[in-house]
Amino acid sequence: MADDIPLLRIAGLGKRFYGTHALNDVDLTLRAGEIHALIGENGAGKSTLIKILAGVYGAEEGTIALRGEAVNPVTQRLPIAFVHQDLGLVDDLSVGENVALVAGFPKRHGLIDWPQVGRQAIELYDRMEIEAPDPQSPVGSLNAAGKALLGIVRALASRADIVVLDEPTASLPEPDALHLLDVLRRLRATGAGIIYVSHRLNELFGFADSVSVLRDGRLVRSAAMASVTPSSLVQDMLGRAVEFAHGHAEPTANKPALLFVEALRLHGFGPVTFSVAAGEIAALVGLRGAGQDEIGRAIFGALETRSGTIHLGGELLPPRETITDRMARGIALLAGDRGRESALAGMSISENLFPSQSIVKTGSLAFLSPAADRARTGEVMERFDVRPRNPDALIDWLSGGNQQKIFVARWLAAGARLLILEEPTAGVDIGAKLAIHAMVRDAARAGAAVLIVSSDFEEVATLADRALVMGRGQISGELSGAALTMDSLIARSSLGEDFAASDYAPATLNA
Amino acid sequence: MPDQVNPAQTAAIRPIARSPRRLSDFVAIYGLAVVFLIVMAVFGVLHPTTFLSASNINSILVGQSVTAMLALAEMIPLATKQFDLSVGYHLGMAQILVIGLQVQNGLSWPLSILIVLVLSVIVGALNGFLVTRFKIDSFIATMGVGTLLYGVSNWYSGGQQIVGMDLADRFTGLTEIYRHIPLPAVYVAIAAILLWVVTERLPVGRSLYVIGASTRAAELTGIRVQRHVMGAFIASGVLSGVAGIMLGSILQTGTPSVGPEYLLPAFAATLLGATSIKPGRVNVLGTLLAVLILAFSFSGVQQLGAAFYVQYFFNGGILIVAVGLSVYASARRRRAAAKGQA
Repeated sequence: MADDIPLLRIAGLGKRFYGTHALNDVDLTLRAGEIHALIGENGAGKSTLIKILAGVYGAEEGTIALRGEAVNPVTQRLPIAFVHQDLGLVDDLSVGENVALVAGFPKRHGLIDWPQVGRQAIELYDRMEIEAPDPQSPVGSLNAAGKALLGIVRALASRADIVVLDEPTASLPEPDALHLLDVLRRLRATGAGIIYVSHRLNELFGFADSVSVLRDGRLVRSAAMASVTPSSLVQDMLGRAVEFAHGHAEPTANKPALLFVEALRLHGFGPVTFSVAAGEIAALVGLRGAGQDEIGRAIFGALETRSGTIHLGGELLPPRETITDRMARGIALLAGDRGRESALAGMSISENLFPSQSIVKTGSLAFLSPAADRARTGEVMERFDVRPRNPDALIDWLSGGNQQKIFVARWLAAGARLLILEEPTAGVDIGAKLAIHAMVRDAARAGAAVLIVSSDFEEVATLADRALVMGRGQISGELSGAALTMDSLIARSSLGEDFAASDYAPATLNA
Repeated sequence: MPDQVNPAQTAAIRPIARSPRRLSDFVAIYGLAVVFLIVMAVFGVLHPTTFLSASNINSILVGQSVTAMLALAEMIPLATKQFDLSVGYHLGMAQILVIGLQVQNGLSWPLSILIVLVLSVIVGALNGFLVTRFKIDSFIATMGVGTLLYGVSNWYSGGQQIVGMDLADRFTGLTEIYRHIPLPAVYVAIAAILLWVVTERLPVGRSLYVIGASTRAAELTGIRVQRHVMGAFIASGVLSGVAGIMLGSILQTGTPSVGPEYLLPAFAATLLGATSIKPGRVNVLGTLLAVLILAFSFSGVQQLGAAFYVQYFFNGGILIVAVGLSVYASARRRRAAAKGQA
């Protein structure tokens, strides 16, 4: 392999979806023994690029060359391994079997050689100088870091020259993330080329060799890591300089806090301390896996806390209360996973609006009147413009946006004092988004404390009065008033506290 | 609020429509009822004197009351998407115990019934406990418990039939035809009405269906899932016990091998019932209609001179065809709804 021929060269790559460019004239060069960071906002084209490399989409323009030879990922099997964020592991199978699913099951006399299945897994871990878990143990018994390592180890089984990793550290606590980066450095030392997608810019310094920034499907910069600074990367990602205007936040201190969370710790996250006032829309915001979901769920009673206290309306909540208890206290939580955690498939709109007595606030033996149900449902549908306007229609028949309106209305109907809303408008159309935002503002105006839990910076910037930025399980800063912009949120959560504090005027942050 | 919504949307607000009565909706909801009427009409015409005679109808109602009661028992855990495969064996045990306690142990008939019902609660609680606490798949847990119960029946009876000599008239009279009214059918009707109120009109019943639709979503709306599933298994146990007591009173003997053969017909009726009235979920009226359709249509075919084994072709065929049609109908309704929305 000649030195001047790169491992992978992508030139002029283009792909359209419905006429608009998802990728437009993108070049990327990866050399053997290089870690190449790929960054950009959501929708900038990172995943499209990866999917083209994986052969999921065909490119419409441009060429891909592997060691100087033109290739087509759609038709060819290339020595490229992918570690996706969700890893694609099978929890019920053992570590050895999960490795074998990719590496192939070693056989003897045509039958699976089980001892060799285990040895094969251990060898791979040894190659990366990682302590191997018991190959017989089920993957479900590994922690998040163990799973991430297995995902990477498994990718090595295919003896790939190139490894593409999509946010592998997103859900890992700091020490595990550092360990994982070490493993990748060792992988680099073996001569592999690594494409590393991340939203966490600060972990790239001292780790990646080069960086490419995508914005709106175009490559805006490709440079050696040594020649860039964190602020220049943010500027490249956003396409404009980041301005931290000084915040003129309305003082929330004089409003009494309805929710007061102090030194709350749960498995792998915390401690966090914050408060939300009645009538206020606060947001817990962070990159995916930063811990905002867990904090919200702990307040709702869906996750166990380790230590710390939660006060609601001045009253200390006993730590081991159930969801039912917390709902009775006036806490509501709209779950982020609409399909799995909110929707009651096969049930009518009316049943989806009023699924339990905790929501309609009746005893379990109170009579349900279909006429009253229908009337209440009709009212909600009218108010929030849910279509088709038929209370007996099944929830499955509604579009995502109409479904979400129903689920938001479900919790508004519960008359909660504290509304925790996870990703309230994920995957809904713009009309539904506006409607849901209006619903949330109305609820706050009526006196509810609203806590938005989100990784959608745009939404937080437009909807929230105040944002608590989370990073690696802790609150790393607070933005409110004019300082609460999409740009400042992105910078704050991508860079973490250290960079944000050193690169920008510290006075602009209300941390 | 609406002023912030897309004006094009607010302009399109239409009055609330009651559910559209399209043909596909009608078939989906009333299909089984129509089939039942057709069955009655066709065989009534073919055999005007025998098929619709009071004695034929009564004998069918008495004969099917046990299956119907068992189908109702099965329906309750099935609403939460949990299987109860122990109901057949449970029925067998209840039947042999209610006779045996009177004949072998010399207990009075009310006490025998009471003991059987208490045992039924315990068996249901055991099923529920294994499923909710030990997280054993309900299919496996109830199959295991059912097999244990079969063991109990055979152990208690030594594998021998217990002939119900000198049973109290009051006990055998429990299932007689009293002034043209078959009492077993009355018990089924009472159980069905109670169960209908619970499942269709009480929050606790809605919670069962919510759990069936999504356990996770149910938890997140504050439903105490384990408690409800536990209750469903206990209710299922009690109704299975009642079915066994009825069977004991009808047969007036206790037979250790009886029971398992009731499981599949009860299951079939429940699943067939889920295709109608409330399409897509098990429901009381659908279950009863399904039991009646299967019973009356087989009786009619029998009177046409069909051999005994035709029953099985018949029941299996109806189940497959009916469920197939209902899957097709629900796809049609979904498409129609998608069109209506656009």
